[in-house]
Amino acid sequence: MSLEQFKDRNVGTQNYVKLDLDHSPTTGWCQFKQVVKRTFKPELFVGLWVTFREMINALFRGKMHTTQYPFEKLPISPRYRAIHDMLRLMESGNYRCIGCGLCEKICISDCISMETKYDENQRKEVSEYTINFGRCIFCGYCAEVCPELAIVHGGRYETASEQRASFSLFEDMLTPIDQLNLQQEYAGFGAISPNADENIKSTPLAY
Amino acid sequence: MVSTLFLTATALPEVGPAGVIIKAVLILAVIAAIAGFGTYIERKILAFMQRRLGPQHVGPFGLLQLAADGIKLFTKEDIIPQHANKFIFAIAPVITAATAFIALAAVPVFPDFTIPFIDVFVPSIAADINVGILFVLGMMAAGLYGPLLAGMAQGNKWGIIGSARTAIQFLSYEVVTGLSILAPIMMVGSLSFVNFNDYQTDGLWLVAYQPVAFVLFLIAGFAETNRTPFDLLEHEAEVISGYVTEYSGMRWGLFFIGEYANMITIGVIASVVFLGGYNDFWIFPGWLMIIGKIAFSFFFMLWVRAAWPHVRPDQLMWLCWKVLMPLAVVNVVITGLVIML
Amino acid sequence: MYEFIAFYVFAIATTILFLITVMSKNVLYAMSALAGGMVMISGFFFLLGADFLGVVQLIVYVGAVMALYAFAMMFFDATKDIKEKHQNPSLVFLLGGLMSLLFVVMFSAPIIGDNVQALYPVVENVGVVENVGNAQAVGMVLFTKYLIPFEVAALMLLVAMIAGIILAGKKMDYSLTKCEAIDEEMDIEAITENEKGEA
Repeated sequence: MSLEQFKDRNVGTQNYVKLDLDHSPTTGWCQFKQVVKRTFKPELFVGLWVTFREMINALFRGKMHTTQYPFEKLPISPRYRAIHDMLRLMESGNYRCIGCGLCEKICISDCISMETKYDENQRKEVSEYTINFGRCIFCGYCAEVCPELAIVHGGRYETASEQRASFSLFEDMLTPIDQLNLQQEYAGFGAISPNADENIKSTPLAY
Repeated sequence: MVSTLFLTATALPEVGPAGVIIKAVLILAVIAAIAGFGTYIERKILAFMQRRLGPQHVGPFGLLQLAADGIKLFTKEDIIPQHANKFIFAIAPVITAATAFIALAAVPVFPDFTIPFIDVFVPSIAADINVGILFVLGMMAAGLYGPLLAGMAQGNKWGIIGSARTAIQFLSYEVVTGLSILAPIMMVGSLSFVNFNDYQTDGLWLVAYQPVAFVLFLIAGFAETNRTPFDLLEHEAEVISGYVTEYSGMRWGLFFIGEYANMITIGVIASVVFLGGYNDFWIFPGWLMIIGKIAFSFFFMLWVRAAWPHVRPDQLMWLCWKVLMPLAVVNVVITGLVIML
Repeated sequence: MYEFIAFYVFAIATTILFLITVMSKNVLYAMSALAGGMVMISGFFFLLGADFLGVVQLIVYVGAVMALYAFAMMFFDATKDIKEKHQNPSLVFLLGGLMSLLFVVMFSAPIIGDNVQALYPVVENVGVVENVGNAQAVGMVLFTKYLIPFEVAALMLLVAMIAGIILAGKKMDYSLTKCEAIDEEMDIEAITENEKGEA
């Protein structure tokens, strides 16, 4: 298909596929014929068959479509920007954040605040790190600017809580030390979701 | 139930008042339960047809969803709008539910049986009047006063539209119902359900002789029970909820119970008049046959709701007056000619 | 005994309901009472053993009052009381009194003139036929003794029906459901195709 067909803005002259519609009946005989035709065409039974087929599909062929949401969750795309995760170094288990303050600087809604100090080894240590989720717009700049891939967007999208502070402390976002082996490396912007292959299916126009 | 008291059973002489009372209690208890349970079945089947699961968290397979809904309906605040006509508003749902159950009094719901130890004969019909079919149809027609009064009493525009639609729907389908069932009545020569059943004991089912009447009756039955192709009265996409817009809690629940009881009644009439009634069929006993037929017609109503779109009021009137009524008249005339010749 | 009680229950209920119909200023109450009264009247038929007539009373008047409701819905606000215009109350009183007097005379005339005979159909006119139900008895009487009134009534209904159709059917050839847009588009299409063919 060439591009010119898309540029043609003259509505009505493109190669539309017309539905098989007849003229409205004009004479009484035509009306009678239309009524008879519609009466004995099995269109209504086609409709009945389609719903019945889908019921059989759902019940006996395992094509039930429901995701029982609170009990089972669909995998979320890596591109999704939910509550942040603070990652750890796999080797030492120490947190990756080097306290450079770039995320605080770039945050356009000014919701990240951090305090750093030098520890006894003269290394930067993060003493306070909070994200105000009442202000965060989940733009993703903090994750993009982070030089160490320390702050990324995670998949926790169920953010209803009694207190916003439940999510916003550094320790809450940090990978628990006992689950370090389960820590997922950030797949990067543009990554596809893990179940992308399953989601590919033919459009349901073949009915 | 006032009028049924005087319609003493005549066909089976051994029917005592105890049997009739037991039957009435049975109908009230079982049909009310089934009518409530029908909501669960409807939700489940509609869900399956759309490849969903339906209610499944209350009890095993969601079977206790009915109880949860009942608790919700009973404990919900009972709101009567400020400018509503409170008396009519209050009695309208009762009319729907009561007429639905009165209609069931003259319908053979289960086959007759005798309770073993106290030796009480329970008839299949609580009140076997010899004009059973007309009585049932008349009562179901009277049931439409519920939606009509409800819509007019609540002082709501959607309600008024709903009751106006009730009126035109009633005036449209009522003629078709009567005329379509007239042809089988002519063949059997009686208005009693028992005679209809006996007529089909040996021969073919009446649907084989009267397919047109059967289809017409089904269409009119859908209109009578406000089921989907003709659910103009409360079509959400057009008139919010129609006549039930201002109703809540158990008053709303009564409308629902009435609707489902009417569905069962239509199922019973269709199966007794056209589909062979409670006669034995091959190896299946009669009680199983009638329950199977009623269950299928119930399922068919849900099936249709899942599959077919609904029509506009003017289309309903056009259909009933210009297509179905002439067809029914022609059917009656042809039946008469065949009987005479 | 039961019939005695039932008769008085129905009689009192009918009287009260029709009184409400006449007296009430609220159209909703009046119509509902009318419908209820009609149902109560059918109770008398059941009491007299005329099941068929009782059921017919139910079906016919349910439909008739439903049509009245439709008109009431169009003309009145159902939730408000209606202010009646009494332009000449004494005239209304006089006419009402005269009319009721007339009815009393009409209904009591046979009693004075001749003893009323209950024309119970099966016994009187057709002769006792065994196993004849109520509906059959009504049918026999209707098509033997009362054939001419029956046919005249049918003719009257036919006249009323045709008159109604003519009054209502002025715009009957105008279809609300015909999709004219599609037709126009198809006409344009046909014209352009013709032009293409000619070119």
